[in-house]
Parts: sequence; structure tokens; C-alpha cells
Amino acid sequence: MEQKKLIGYACAYTPLALIHAAGFTPYRILPDKDCPDQAGLILHDNLCPHVKRILDRAMDNQLPDLDGMVFMNSCDSMRRLADAWQQARPDIKMTLVDLPITSSDRDCAFFQGELQELSSTLEEWKGETLTPERLTGSIQIYNSLAENLEKLNTELQRGSTYNGAGLLQSTCLKASCTAPEEMVAEVESLIGSAGEEQQKDNSVPIYLFGNVLPDAEAFKMFAECGAGIVRDDLCTGSRLFAEVATRAEGLDDLLLDYAAGILNRQPCARTIVEAQPGKLAKDVIAGAKQYQVKGVIGYSLKFCDPYIARLPGIRAALKAEGIPFLMLEGDCTNRSIGQQKTRIEAFIEMLR
Amino acid sequence: MYYLGIDIGSLSCDSVLINDDETVLATSVVPTGARNKESIARATEETLRAASIEKKDVKAIVSTGYGRDRVEDRLSSVTEITCHARGIRAMLPDTRVLIDIGGQDSKSILLGEDGKVVDFAMNDKCAAGTGRFLEAMARALQVDIDEMGELDANAQGGLSISSICTVFAESEVVSLIADGTQVSEIVRGINNSIAFRTLSLVKRVAMKPDGFAIAMSGGVARNTGVVSAISAALGDINVSVPELPDTIGALGAALIAREKSA
Amino acid sequence: MMKEYFEELENGLQTAIDNNQGSIRMLYSLEIARLGKRLYSGEDKVAWCGIIAPFDLLSALDVTSCFVEFIGAMMAATNVAGDLIEETNHIGYSSDSCSYHRAVMGATMKELMPKPELLIGTTCPCSGGLAVIENLAAHFEKSFYLLQIPQDQAPKNVRYLADQMREMVSFVTKITGIPMDTEKVKFAMETSNKIREVLIEIFNLAKQVPSPVTGKDLSNFGIVMALFSGTESGLALAEAFRDELKQRSQNLTASGSNEKFRLLWIQNRIQFKNPIEKLLEDQYGAKIVIDELNDVTWGAVDPDDPYEGLASRAISIPFNGPAQNRVQHLQRLAEEYQVHGAINPCNWGCRQGTGSRGLIEASLKEIGVPVLNLEVDCIDHKKFTEGQFRTRVEAFMEMMDS
Ligand code: SF4
Ligand code: SF4
Repeated sequence: MEQKKLIGYACAYTPLALIHAAGFTPYRILPDKDCPDQAGLILHDNLCPHVKRILDRAMDNQLPDLDGMVFMNSCDSMRRLADAWQQARPDIKMTLVDLPITSSDRDCAFFQGELQELSSTLEEWKGETLTPERLTGSIQIYNSLAENLEKLNTELQRGSTYNGAGLLQSTCLKASCTAPEEMVAEVESLIGSAGEEQQKDNSVPIYLFGNVLPDAEAFKMFAECGAGIVRDDLCTGSRLFAEVATRAEGLDDLLLDYAAGILNRQPCARTIVEAQPGKLAKDVIAGAKQYQVKGVIGYSLKFCDPYIARLPGIRAALKAEGIPFLMLEGDCTNRSIGQQKTRIEAFIEMLR
Repeated sequence: MYYLGIDIGSLSCDSVLINDDETVLATSVVPTGARNKESIARATEETLRAASIEKKDVKAIVSTGYGRDRVEDRLSSVTEITCHARGIRAMLPDTRVLIDIGGQDSKSILLGEDGKVVDFAMNDKCAAGTGRFLEAMARALQVDIDEMGELDANAQGGLSISSICTVFAESEVVSLIADGTQVSEIVRGINNSIAFRTLSLVKRVAMKPDGFAIAMSGGVARNTGVVSAISAALGDINVSVPELPDTIGALGAALIAREKSA
Repeated sequence: MMKEYFEELENGLQTAIDNNQGSIRMLYSLEIARLGKRLYSGEDKVAWCGIIAPFDLLSALDVTSCFVEFIGAMMAATNVAGDLIEETNHIGYSSDSCSYHRAVMGATMKELMPKPELLIGTTCPCSGGLAVIENLAAHFEKSFYLLQIPQDQAPKNVRYLADQMREMVSFVTKITGIPMDTEKVKFAMETSNKIREVLIEIFNLAKQVPSPVTGKDLSNFGIVMALFSGTESGLALAEAFRDELKQRSQNLTASGSNEKFRLLWIQNRIQFKNPIEKLLEDQYGAKIVIDELNDVTWGAVDPDDPYEGLASRAISIPFNGPAQNRVQHLQRLAEEYQVHGAINPCNWGCRQGTGSRGLIEASLKEIGVPVLNLEVDCIDHKKFTEGQFRTRVEAFMEMMDS
């Protein structure tokens, strides 16, 4: 297959289908490479490690060939990453897309405008001109990918495959850096084989929420500790791929539908629903109930303000519901989660 | 006439006595106890006794370090940044970048060609990369801090402590011990992680440190493992360590005492 | 408790001022005491807001509005912030976040935050501040409206925000039940415009060499004046500052000054009692002549149709948009005020201001202005280690002085 040009991105709110429709493959810059820790030079050390590790990669030239970088204005740290990028890698073009915090009609219209601008920028970066057909096509591919990933999860859960969550995660991670056409087929074959591997394990069903955990080892460890993650809500997990319903046909309306689809997807802590302050806590509880788990594990990076501020509310709400909760903190290094093994084991023992 | 410099740090109280020719006559290093005043008195006494000099012949005292304002009969107090810069110029005159890893915090100092401080950077609030960090790690490893240089020399290398935060790093070390990793390898890992922290401090004052003569002072400079890790992290640039690196601040203070009372 | 505190403060200051012992800084504190009293009176309709809410518009709507960080700063000034911050440990509010917000959450837990009628969040300056507004809304079970500040002054962006402000007005009037009085709004906007003019005069005076200000005169000034915008007392306060500085500037030129170094303070000051200004002035003849937020970056607002103007004002705050905005603004201030050095407190946990530490430092060095990064927590006095702090400040001054 012909190698497509790559556009880097860093946030789960990135309009992947739009980038794809412009003839690029969206490539997520994951904070998973071992590079010298120097982001603090340009920014500050007390900053979200997700953002710092991405910047470290950029500063250490550990990036694939990129035709550009698309940032979303999702939180202060991401904003700072975009600022620093210009200084660290002036050779890689970048753009910042503003991202509303809520999803009123006005916000969707505003975001539609932002998407429009992004598509012109991509065109300047030698991308294809956006047409309704191209966009619809790309949205459909990503929808099938999302659908397949969902099916894969169901399949894995049905068979209670040992460390099914780990398989799902690594698939999501791969999908975040790979052309979607390829992935749709790959996930399909995984679904087929997942059904066969019906080895029963007696893990305890857990709901996992949080931000950035691009670490296969972590999931292996969850499995070893007897935590069966039946559903995740992570930036680097299933949240990235969600189906977007579009009905419109003209480009403008199509973009508006797409904008609304992105703003209304499963939210991370940075998104707010004005009518329901503290909704994230309710979402976690709803997730825990829907998947009939025995406990909830939260995972957050240090210095992530959106999660830091919401965790006390989530903790209190889970307590009120009588749902056991374990909070883990990490810093995007492989071992930071490894050290929490005892806590995870104890939590699972408690739930058995 | 004689001039005395006293550096009251969080871990040790160092003093240096010089004469009008700027010759070092005596030095002493005593641990800083709970009471600063006693340590100051002890360090002063020891130094004077070693040089057989009486207190009344000391023309001026300049103090530095955290406890600098505790020295009562001082001519003035000057920060350790200025003093270390002054001291290193006397020992290693070419120095342009000085690294000082102290107990409380670590610093990088950029000196101009004339030896004056042009810029400096200090670590952030967290203790990673300071002498205190090293102590905590030594404690976690249950080794003596002075053994660490030797242990490092025996390591193969390759292991790195990836956690940046002291708290994470400490438990990372504990889990490495539990995994049966060799102590010498862990020590090397710790030194590498200190070196990374230091590298970023150095870069904050000199983005491209090659081409500058680099030196290191402070007690941690006696730890050969840390010094060679820093040197490697800088891209194999030589890091010079003066004789008696712990007393550089006090030496600078003594030199300043002479200048100021001239 | 807080109500009495502000009442006492007001009375004390009023007596001093009546006895002609008042400095301009006292007039400023008096206004703060009055605002505090109204917030805690239990009678006013209170709105907790984000830092760049349109306070003039809100006061024209008869709402006593204030950004929550103000309470954090007040708690720090009275040395209770440390305890409140500790309180938030119990609910698992990470100490990696900004202490302004932790102090506010601690105060809420201790029932020291007045119950608001409504809340107005702003996406600028920080994600943390926005989250606190959401948390307070959940805690008090009150409605909140969110102002999303776009990144630059593109017409579509100004319109987006202006429309939000219009909607905010209907949101507020619906909750308070007080309809909007267009005359009142017009008057508030005219007053804001006048204050704007006076602020420009004040800042121009401060620019003079030697400067008529002392290091403390204008600390927190710009950001707090926003709370009094659109009001007559705010205008009177600004005029008093201007007149005093004019007076001083005349005397100064005659008498000379001991001003040796001029400094730029980045972001906000340290809010609890600390020796910095005195240390700088007494020991080194160094004076903070300009704070980052003491500047007028916006144009006058059209009193008959203020929304676009208010939107553009909010967008113009240098804390909004790319760090490049801040960097250029700081460079401009450094040049206009002819400063010798700059101090960045790097408030622990602030991703907005502190997050750009390296970018700011590099750009100021580029124009020959050295920067001291203090790395302090501006609110939590319990985290303050005077030794480390002094060493940094003194070494910086020794370096400039050599
Ligand atoms: S982990 Fe948190 S702070 Fe970091 S980019 Fe994501 S939302 Fe922002
Ligand atoms: S100090 Fe920073 S994080 Fe705290 S309120 Fe101000 S801008 Fe927000």
C-alpha cells in the first residue's frame, strides 16, 4: 500500500476523519518513548507529563516524518505544548484548533468554523481539497473502525479473554497511529479470533477511567493482579474512536454535524455540561453500573488540572453509591504504574 | 591579616581561612547540627586552631549559605551563588559553568569571562536532583552515601530511574531492589537521573554548554559516580572538580572578605 | 466570621483615612473591604466568576460579582489559606494544583465561601479556575454560565464571545428577576471608559524614571481594579491614585530618588505577608515599577452596544491565546518601563503562567532583561521557605549589582 503522508496529533478530540479526508494519515504522538527529560527547559517541570513527554520526543527528534501537527486547545497544558512546539520544532508546521468546552448550538457552529479553517490549513499543507464525498467517506471509515472496536470489546468480554483489555488497548494505540482502512480489516480479524480463545479467567470486573495510559505493561499488570477491565474511559483508549452520526449532505452542514459529533462524544474532564455541573462523576457511576463492575479504578497523570479538580467529586460520588474506588497516579514513565502493583492487588483482594 | 569565610549549609558548616596573599591556611567541615550557632563556633575554632591563629587577628568574616545571617561578627553575608563563583575562579580560573549540588537545592551558575555571575538557575521546589534526593536514595538502598561512587564504578549501566519525582523515584528504587536488581546498577541509575536533572539546569543557563569549561563544587562533587554521569549526560564534556569541593563556597566568602575589607 | 473581618477592616481603614493618615493604598484596601463585606453580607446577589468576567456589566445588572481567586488571595493575606489548603487534602484534591483554587475549595468545605446566586466561568486564564467554578456550581447547586474566550481577535471570534455575553445577560436577569436597565448599563460602560483613561495616566506616571511608585503601591492593582470597573467608587479610587502619583512625581523631580534598579513583576504577587518588596528596596535600591497585569490592552467600549467591545477586551488580556502574546507584551512592558530585571514567582501549580516559564525567560533575556524564577507558592504561606527565597533574591541582586 502506498505510504500516505502523516499529520501528527496529540488529543483525543482531534477531528481524525477531517485530516484523513484531506489525504493524510493521522498519527498520534504518544508519550511512550524513552527520551531525555528536557521539556521543562522550554516550559516548566510542573506540567502534565503527557505534554512534556510529547515535547521531549519532539526535542529529541523521535518523530516520524510529519507533514504537520494539529493541536487542540483542550486544556492549559495542551495550549502550552502548542506554544512550545513552535520553538522546539519550527521545521514542522503546526496549527491549533480551538475547542469549545460545552456543546451548545453556538459552540457547534463555532467549532464548525474552526474545522473549516483546519481544512484550509491542511490544503495549504498540500492536502486534498475537502469535498462532502471525501469527508463522508472518511467519517464512514472511522465509524466502521469504532464499530469494530466496540464489537471487539464485546467479544473479548463475552469470552472473558485473559487480559482482553490489554489487547483492546494495544489495538486502540495502534489504530491511533495507523491508516484506518488497514485497521478496520485488522480489527475484524481480531474479532474472529477473540471468539475462539474462550479461556475463562476469574478476574474481578473493573471500570477504568482517566486520561493517558499508553502502556501495554500496565494492562498486563492489571490482568496479573486479577483486575478485569471490562470497560475503559481513557484518552488513549476507546474514547478516541467513537461513532459520529451525520445526516447532512452539503459540506457546511456535514461539517456542522461532524463538529457536533465531536463535541458530544464521551467527554473527558475538560468538557463541561453547564446544566449538569459535576457530570463526570455521574458518567463514571453510570459506566460502572452499566458494565456491572465490582469496582472502579481511576488513573490520572500528575499535574492534570482537569482531572485533579474533578477527582474529589468523583471520589465522593462513588462513595455515596457504595462503589469501591482505587485512584492511581502516574507520570508517563513505564515504571510509575508498576510500583502501584501492591495497591492494585490489595484492591482486588478486597473485592473478591 | 587573615580572612575567614564560613558557609553554613543545611548539611554541613564549612570554613576557610586565608591570608593577604589569598593562600588557604586551613579549612574545616563540620556537620550542621540542630543549633547553627554551635556549628559555626566549632567550625571557626577548628579552622583557627589548625592554622594557629587567634580570632583577634582575623580582619573580616564573610558568611554564606542558608545560615549566613546567623554569623554574628560577620562583615557581611553574601549568597552561596556569588561565593561559589568567586571560589571556583580561584581554584579553576577557566570555569564558565559551575554546577553546585547542595543539600537543599542544586544550582547551575554561568560565569562571564571576567568571572562575574551572568546567570544562574536553581532547581524547582521538588527535591529531585539535590543532595537530599541522593540521601533518600542511599537510605532506600541502605548503603552509605560515600560508598556510592565506588558502587557506580562497578555498574554495567543501562538502567535508568525513570521517575522524576522523588516520591516516585524512591518507590521505584524499592521495587527494583525487590526485583533483585544489583545495587550497583541501581546506583548508576540514580546517578543518571541526577545527571539528567542537572543537565536541564545547565541548559537553562547555557543552552549549548560545549565549549565552556565546566566545574562542579559542593559535597556531591566528591561522588565520582555523579560527576561522571553528569559528564556523560553533557555529551562527554569533562567536568572538573576542585580540591576540597565542599569548601568552595567558604573559600569564595573568605576571598570576598579580603576584597571587601581592603 | 468573614463578614465581621471585613467590617472591622473597613472601619479601621475609614478611621485612619478620616484622620488624614491614609495612604492611597489604604483607599484601595478600603474598597476591597467594602467588596468583601458585600460578598459576605448575605443580602447581595453574589456571582462567583472567572478572572476575566465582565464585572462592570454584572454590577450594572445588580449582581455583586467577584472572581474566586480573590478569596484565595484574601485567605492568604490573613494567613488562613495554609489551613484551608490542608483541608482539601482530606477530599483528595491533589497538591499539584494551584493553591488559589485549593484555598477556595478549602474555604467552601469550611463554609467560608458565601453562597452565590449564580456563577460565571471563564475559560481564560486557566483550566483549573474553570473547574473550580464547575465544582462550586455543583456544591451550591446553582446554575452557571460559561464564557469561552477565543484565542484571537478574528471577527468571528469576537462575535462568538459577544453573543455569549448577550446570552449571559438573559441568564443573569432570569435568575435575579431584575430586568436589565439599559441606562444603567450605559452608565457603567461610560464609567469603565473613564477608568480606562485614568489607568492609562497612572501607568504612564509609573513609567517615569525615577518612578513615583513604591514597590507595593500597584501590587495586584490591575487585576483588582477590574472588579471595580464600571462603578463610581472605582473611578474615584483610580483618580486618587493618579492624583497622588502626579503629586509625587512633581516632588520627585525636585528631590531625586534612591531608585537604582527597576524591576518587572510577572503575573501576580505573593499574596501572604513576605519580605520581598522591603528586601529589594532597603537592601538593593530595587523597585518593582510594573506588574504584568497593570496594563490597558483594550480599547474603549461602545456604551450603547457594549458586547463586541467587552468581548474584545476579554480576548485582549495577554494571558489569553498563545504564550507569544504574553511574551511580546512582557517585552514591551520591559522596554517601556526601562526595567533592569524581571521576577517570575512561578506560582506552584499554575500551568498558565508558570507553564510558560522557559519561553518567558528566553524572550526577556533576548532583550537583555535577566529573569529570576522564584518557584514559590503565592498563596500557601506554609510552603514558604524564607531561606531558599532569600538566597534566590539576593543572588539575583548580587548578580545585577556586580
Ligand atoms: S492529561 Fe490532562 S492536562 Fe494532560 S493533556 Fe490530557 S487533559 Fe490536559
Ligand atoms: S495562578 Fe495560574 S492556575 Fe492559579 S488562578 Fe492564576 S492563572 Fe490560574
